[in-house]
Amino acid sequence: MLKDNITKALAPLGLEQVADGDYAKTGYHLEVAARPEQMPAVAQAMLDQGCFLESLTAVDLRESFTLVYHFANFSELCRTVVHASLPKEAQAPTISRVYPAADWYEREVYDLFGIKFAGHPDLKRILLPDDADFHPLLKDFGAEAAND
Amino acid sequence: METKTGDPLIKFGLLEEVLNLARANSLWPLTFGLACCAIEMMAVGMARFDLARFGAEVFRPSPRQSDLMIVAGTISKKMAPAVVRLYEQMPAPKWVIAMGNCAISGGPFFYENQYAIVPGADLIIPVDVYIPGCPPRPEAIIEAILTLEEKITKRGRLRKFRDVKR
Amino acid sequence: MIELGIEEKTYTLNLGPQHPSTHGVLRVLLEMDGEYITKAEPVIGYGHRGHEHMAENRNYHQFLPNMGRVDYLHALAYNQGYCMAVEKLIGVTVPERGEYIRVILSELNRLTSHLLWFGAYLLDLGAFTPIMYCFDDREHILDLLDRITGSRLTYCFYRFGGVPQDLDDEFITGVRAFIKRLRSRWPDYDNLVTKNVIFINRTKDVGVISKDQCVKYGLTGPTLRGSGIPYDIRKSEPYSAYPAFDFTIPIGDQGDIFDRYIVRLQEMEQSLRIIEQALDKLPNGPIMAEKVPKRLKPAEGEVYQAVETARGEFGCYIVSQGGIKPYRIKLRVPSFGNLSILPEIAVDTLVADLVAILGSVDVVIPEIDR
Repeated sequence: MLKDNITKALAPLGLEQVADGDYAKTGYHLEVAARPEQMPAVAQAMLDQGCFLESLTAVDLRESFTLVYHFANFSELCRTVVHASLPKEAQAPTISRVYPAADWYEREVYDLFGIKFAGHPDLKRILLPDDADFHPLLKDFGAEAAND
Repeated sequence: METKTGDPLIKFGLLEEVLNLARANSLWPLTFGLACCAIEMMAVGMARFDLARFGAEVFRPSPRQSDLMIVAGTISKKMAPAVVRLYEQMPAPKWVIAMGNCAISGGPFFYENQYAIVPGADLIIPVDVYIPGCPPRPEAIIEAILTLEEKITKRGRLRKFRDVKR
Repeated sequence: MIELGIEEKTYTLNLGPQHPSTHGVLRVLLEMDGEYITKAEPVIGYGHRGHEHMAENRNYHQFLPNMGRVDYLHALAYNQGYCMAVEKLIGVTVPERGEYIRVILSELNRLTSHLLWFGAYLLDLGAFTPIMYCFDDREHILDLLDRITGSRLTYCFYRFGGVPQDLDDEFITGVRAFIKRLRSRWPDYDNLVTKNVIFINRTKDVGVISKDQCVKYGLTGPTLRGSGIPYDIRKSEPYSAYPAFDFTIPIGDQGDIFDRYIVRLQEMEQSLRIIEQALDKLPNGPIMAEKVPKRLKPAEGEVYQAVETARGEFGCYIVSQGGIKPYRIKLRVPSFGNLSILPEIAVDTLVADLVAILGSVDVVIPEIDR
């Protein structure tokens, strides 16, 4: 079973939580909580199990950020979500060395939230114009920065 | 902005009327689909709605060879300089049709904290005809081409000679 | 602009945001060594309209029209993904007839999307006739969909808990007649395009994507299935009424453009099979769930719902903190991942091949830019 293989692969990394998810309610089979520094190791473990990176995003919780990584697999159904809590003004390590797909996803997170990824090959804005000076999805982004 | 829409330097008089008739009946649009309205613009050039019978089927990819720009879709702030540049690259006489709610006034994307779009094409280039709709039906685009023809030739359409009961 | 290097002469060419073959406002910066491309970098963001920011400023019902504009070619699937995600959050089940209607309309919409891809792709390659055929077929479907939903392109038809309007007999006879008509067109398309020598030369062994690249870049949809991996959410993670239907997942073997083209053609035939079976088995009953609150205040939590669209997997990730507006909605769109493979497979190709590869990946730019 893929879920057990993933749980076994993630066990030696010493993560905060690796628990079963409630699929009918949330759509996840496995819910993992990790620290951002552990993410490259987690990504490598998921790639070794043959999973692909479904989505990479962030949520602004006012006092901190949460980076959310979704992994899924082509051959067997098992959706894994990894939540990594990131303090404000901190940098997260990139996983684009493991998954090249993360290259664009991390640029989008930087563009919309201002979170920097250490080790990213080319961290620049992707959706907004290059000379924009605001990050729109932050919760304290107001009308003053937008109208010009 | 009025002078930029092609007030000619030399006035030909009666020949002008013939020239305007020729210009109106053979408009060459620029392929400028930005978002969803582009699909309806493609559909109007196809077999069912057939813009070719009005002379406007030849969509040119290059602005230097076209005289009508149909702004079909939302203009984002990143795209706005490109829109102005394309407009300036078109030779006079040139006309602009703003197609869809997004090109008229920002459409469904206009709200108080919107940071990403230019709410309306007429904020950056002069517009001649507006087509409301989200997206407008292809018949509405044909109506817009005919309205533009009326504007160019400064006379009504030929259908006035027929008894069309309204 | 000509830059003289020490060892090689390369120049930069800009495939601008306004271009007939870029399927929207995509810009590709090319560095060329003579006729061959050494580096291709897509620049996106010219269609960014702020959907995710709008989601935080609107309540759940007010965000429904946005979903039709994200990917306007298969808008009903995006409607379905969002409605299913919210239904999971509030714990509402759609009645069976509602699910069947959703499947029939979504599959008809998938047909319009694939037909448009087929026509527009051949227009990029220089053939002017197939697009006329495809748009003609497409107009028949749009008439049928217009009868029920009221729109031709940017649908906003599904509601939380079901669908608001039922199918009528004229729609059902129209769909059956259309299925017969489209099936009689497949030989036309085969003779026009599939057996065309120029088309085969331009698409065989061009733009090959390996299985390893598929996993690393997270590709989904026909772009993935052309490389031989049979991953389709309708079969791997069945949702709605799909478990009741019998259909196959077409896959390619080499991963070149020709395989992706064949996969899409065969998917159209499978969609026709699904629609036929759905019409035969259509159950009677209500189309809308009872007791759906008018003002939605879902409980705290998050949900991820995946749906198979014409381009790949659409994932709707909603975080709710108990208010009437969502706290965060992330739209995971297939074209975002599918386009990120372009810099890798465009190296050492000609510009004409780049246009062919870009078209075969089937991107819709407003979906990438959201």
